[in-house]
Amino acid sequence: MKMTELKAGDKAEIISIKACGEIGSRLIDMGLVKGTRFKLIRKAPLGDPIEIMLRGFLLSLRLSEAKNISVVKIGHVGDGKPMRGGGFKRRGR
Amino acid sequence: MTKNKNIKEFKEISVALAGNPNSGKTSLFNGLIGRHLKVGNWAGVTIEKYEGFIEYEGYKIKIVDLPGTYSLTAYSPEEVITRNYIIEEKPDVIVNVLDGTNLERNLYLTTQLMELEVNSVIALNMYDEVKEQKIEIDFKQLEKLLGSHIIPTNSIKKEGFKSLLNHIVRVHTGILTVAKNKLSFSEEVEKNIERLTDIIKGDQTLSDKYHPRWLAIKLLENDQLTYSAAKERAIWLNIEKELLEIIPKYEDMFDSSPAMTIAEDRHSFIRGAIKETVEYPKEIKKTLTDYIDSVLINRVLGLPIFLALMWLIFQFTFKLGEAPMGWIETFFGFLEKTAADIIAPGLLQSVIVDGIIAGVGGVLVFLPSILLLFLALAFMEGTGYMARAAFVVDKILHKVGLHGKSFIPMITGFGCSVPAFMSCRTLKSKADRITTMMIIPFMSCGAKLPVYILLIGAFFPVAYAGNILFAVYLFGIIVAILSAKLLKTSLFKGESEPFVMELPPYRMPTLKAVLIQMWIKAYMYIKKAGTIVLLASVIIWAAGNFPVSREINKTYAEKTHAVQCNQMFDKVQKEKQSVKLGRFDGHNPRHDTLQSLENMRLSKQLEYSYAGRMGKFIEPVIRPIGFDWRIGISLVAGLAAKEVVVATMGTIYSLGGEADEGSSDLAAALRNDKKYDMATALSLMIFVLLYVPCLAATIVFHKEAGAWKWTGIYIAYSMIIAWVLSFAVYRISKLFLI
Repeated sequence: MKMTELKAGDKAEIISIKACGEIGSRLIDMGLVKGTRFKLIRKAPLGDPIEIMLRGFLLSLRLSEAKNISVVKIGHVGDGKPMRGGGFKRRGR
Repeated sequence: MTKNKNIKEFKEISVALAGNPNSGKTSLFNGLIGRHLKVGNWAGVTIEKYEGFIEYEGYKIKIVDLPGTYSLTAYSPEEVITRNYIIEEKPDVIVNVLDGTNLERNLYLTTQLMELEVNSVIALNMYDEVKEQKIEIDFKQLEKLLGSHIIPTNSIKKEGFKSLLNHIVRVHTGILTVAKNKLSFSEEVEKNIERLTDIIKGDQTLSDKYHPRWLAIKLLENDQLTYSAAKERAIWLNIEKELLEIIPKYEDMFDSSPAMTIAEDRHSFIRGAIKETVEYPKEIKKTLTDYIDSVLINRVLGLPIFLALMWLIFQFTFKLGEAPMGWIETFFGFLEKTAADIIAPGLLQSVIVDGIIAGVGGVLVFLPSILLLFLALAFMEGTGYMARAAFVVDKILHKVGLHGKSFIPMITGFGCSVPAFMSCRTLKSKADRITTMMIIPFMSCGAKLPVYILLIGAFFPVAYAGNILFAVYLFGIIVAILSAKLLKTSLFKGESEPFVMELPPYRMPTLKAVLIQMWIKAYMYIKKAGTIVLLASVIIWAAGNFPVSREINKTYAEKTHAVQCNQMFDKVQKEKQSVKLGRFDGHNPRHDTLQSLENMRLSKQLEYSYAGRMGKFIEPVIRPIGFDWRIGISLVAGLAAKEVVVATMGTIYSLGGEADEGSSDLAAALRNDKKYDMATALSLMIFVLLYVPCLAATIVFHKEAGAWKWTGIYIAYSMIIAWVLSFAVYRISKLFLI
């Protein structure tokens, strides 16, 4: 599903991002990459933009930007599912 | 790399601060340098450059505060400035400032700095909050992973500063070494990086300027600036061949781009490092930010609260500013009077009193409002509400092609365009910034109000006055919205800043930080008043006073003399003045005093001056919209400042330059003038609303927009719009009102 289909309170994980250019780069820089878990906090009073929480901070983005992001829903607020972590591999020393 | 030179050779150390926005970088910078702050601009952009120095252990440590960025791509000017500064200026030590409570995101920039292989020291800032939130960090291990020394700091209490400075000096002198770890990427990417690095190493000049490995990574990331740098070299042929082979192959193999993988790998590295070295408290408590946000940007309350806050700021800025504005006015009035007393009447007195003092005073009078506005803005920015406000209104503004952050300049525009233009700096994309700046003048500024009051008072019944005034303001807003839409669909088609924006945690900014921000902005304004506006005032003064007509002066000198003689004669004869004087001058005897003669002379002189000639010259152009040369002169004079329109009309109608909007004489004179009617009044109000704002504002526009092209478009656009809409309003109201 797309990120825009989530409701306030939903937890999800990013599967893929189909955006290039500046928007794509902005999303990646803010940590929206494959495997990132986030929670949709709320929508703005007029329904757009949306506010999500990921990696311990709050981020807002427009629906037009969020529609490039495919996600899978993993839970809802209060279900105790961890938001930090997820698969990781560490390289470098 | 270790610098093993003798300590005594180094007396100066250059340091650059790099970090995310909201990482407390600026307060760290302010805390470090104390009073030695120097503010300028980065070349070619409207981003402020903060520099300063501190003396420590016999070293002069020069610190530059780089703009806050999340990354080092080539998309925003901040990022380009930061990386160019690091690559080209090669500061001795980079201090990477991290928000300790938000390490995961902050470390992304760190990984990119690691790729640049510079001497860096990490300041783990906001350490007090880290301890408060019970976040445990294994510094030793994290240092090992990142390859840099990490110093916990707290900018507000100035904790860790000494240790930070010690580290800077020791890293610079080589007593401490920086490991400069290499981040390694996925196998396939790593292989490609090596291939590209080998090719790049074949070009000595290129690899001297850029780190070959960094350049290779950036090329794989499709970084436009690196592409242009590499394209200038002969070796580009080999690089291009390689890239054209690598990228499609990679995309085929992994269904992803190398750029994406590189970013994912950086994030994975960070996540791994965090997992290994940072322990967060088990239970996640609701933070203060969560509570505040659940009210302030609530789906129901969000907009009303936003509107209420904007109203408050507007009131705070312009109502609270009224009294000090009055004092400044009084002060300049006093200055004018004193100067007039000291300097003998004549050209010198006129240029100083009517030109310089009046001109600079007219600009400085807005200073209280500007200080208060910037105070309010700095406070909003400092607390973190600014980003929320943009979040709340973005949808409305995005519809007309603007950005959520455009609202501040637009609201400010109702007070004064000058600070409004300056507050456009918060808009990062050029398209958004210029579009917002173009429409600001249509937000009717405070100086235009006297014109409306005069005209409405003269031509409309009192019962309608409020509605008409409101309609004029509304008209401006509608023109602004339509213009934004027009500009965004023509000049800036498709260009828009993405709204991927952090909503930082609420923090109480320190008073000092807010005051510093306010003062920096206000200082720039004062500097402008002292230089460009000073010059411009003299030019406009000259246009209104030159050439001097000997004939007019002579005629009126004779008349004045005659009146004086008559007065003396009258005194002696103890006869009634008015009858005789009336006979003498042939005018209405009631007005024939010395003052009215002087007013008439000024009126004639103004008509004779360059400004007057200009008014007459443009008469053919403005006749279709219902104006004659007298309004023409006023409009030309209004280029200096909009309040001047009323004063100039006063002069033309021989009421003296002191006429104001409350002046019933001027209103009556206008009303009784056969040439003017309601349609003229409406047309004139619309024209004053829309035509090019005052000179000070135009100069600030030019400075902020940065190119003659934009200033040209802005002047032409506002002039054309003003004429066309005034024409429409004039013709339509002619049909209905008469």
